[in-house]
Amino acid sequence: MKDMVDELPGLAKVRTRFLEMLVDRQALIAEHALSAWEGETLQDINGNLEAAKAILHQIAGTAGSLGFSDLGVAARSCESEVIAHLEGPDADLAICPGEIIYHMDLFVKQCEETLNTLA
Amino acid sequence: MKILAVDDDLIILELLTQFIQAVGDHELVTAESGSEALDLLRAEAKGTFDCFMLDIQMPNMDGIELTRRIRMMSRYADTPVLMLTAMADKRYIDGAFAAGATDYVTKPFEVAELQARLGLVAGMIEGRRARTRKIFAASAVGAQAGSTAVELHEPISIHDVDNVIEYVAMENYVQQLTRNSLFGSSTFAFTMREIEQYHAAMSPFEFYSLISDMAEIISDTLHGHQFLMSYAGSGTFVCITESGWRPDMGRLVDAVNLSLARTELYNNAGERLHPRVSGGDVVRLIWKSGAAVMDALATAHATAEAASAAHGKSQTDYWNMGQIA
Repeated sequence: MKDMVDELPGLAKVRTRFLEMLVDRQALIAEHALSAWEGETLQDINGNLEAAKAILHQIAGTAGSLGFSDLGVAARSCESEVIAHLEGPDADLAICPGEIIYHMDLFVKQCEETLNTLA
Repeated sequence: MKILAVDDDLIILELLTQFIQAVGDHELVTAESGSEALDLLRAEAKGTFDCFMLDIQMPNMDGIELTRRIRMMSRYADTPVLMLTAMADKRYIDGAFAAGATDYVTKPFEVAELQARLGLVAGMIEGRRARTRKIFAASAVGAQAGSTAVELHEPISIHDVDNVIEYVAMENYVQQLTRNSLFGSSTFAFTMREIEQYHAAMSPFEFYSLISDMAEIISDTLHGHQFLMSYAGSGTFVCITESGWRPDMGRLVDAVNLSLARTELYNNAGERLHPRVSGGDVVRLIWKSGAAVMDALATAHATAEAASAAHGKSQTDYWNMGQIA
């Protein structure tokens, strides 16, 4: 996939803004993942997974256009995993699958690496 | 073109702003929510937007509901609506088309794809303006019977009938089917018999009204099934279902014709009309891809027209036989 940044020079400032927002977004994803993992009620768990999914969805929708294709693919993969759980047979049980949290943790680390590389 | 883009992600709006600036010749207005977009639309005195780009997943009011609300405004009844969709939104695409979306653009955006989609939209708008000019021209001379302001073979946009979408949107819908599972999808069509006579004898408005009424009757007959339908021109309505339902065309045609028989339809002279339909083959889309899917649509269309023509011929042959006897 071709990055739009290469084609449209004006996107450099959008890319900078994306990275600024990524700092907050990765922190929020980590916070929601932890809250879901430690949640005891269905509302706690699914509510936090839903919130993390919304942030992952936004990252997945833009990262690829701004030169961060790997990050976008990883975000989409995590998002799909959360959707599969929230729409799956265990959706009405107060269960937070460990795999989802593990993958979200990896994603948060990937965000950190991306930010550190460009710092 | 003046475009309204609605997305709750500021990065998307900034991306689109940069892109629109780069391709030039367009003006972009942005809104961060459905309600903000509706406020903008209500505030303007007349319809000034030529195109909408709407995110599907937004909090409070999603892009599908926003499309529905925009379509309820008469000035935007047929303005192109492009949905901005991520891969995870594919399951919402059916709903978006049913609500009135014209096409969709996949996130993350690519310059070439965005440019191509906007080019198609610009072409659609120009084509529509040309047709509107023709209809206004016909109205000015009294829209006399026999006017050809609405060409027989041209698709017509039908509004406010459940699951009926524009023909361009139907083609775009079929294109996205090729990228998803086609298992369980079928296409089929109905053709109004003697459409040429109706077209020749009616004013453009009468003809449009008849097509609209026909769409409503077919849509009501298919109620309870998952489907999308479009008027393809020449009296033919093409339908697509993804639900695994395999329609029994014989029964469906009977049901539509029964409903038509029970519905009192009149022309402007107060004469009762007795339109009837013929049905073509049900074509399954499984294992088809790309151009083959479009061919399947064409086959459904052609077989319905052939059935209508065969019915007309059988009527003529019947009277000929009577004369011989």
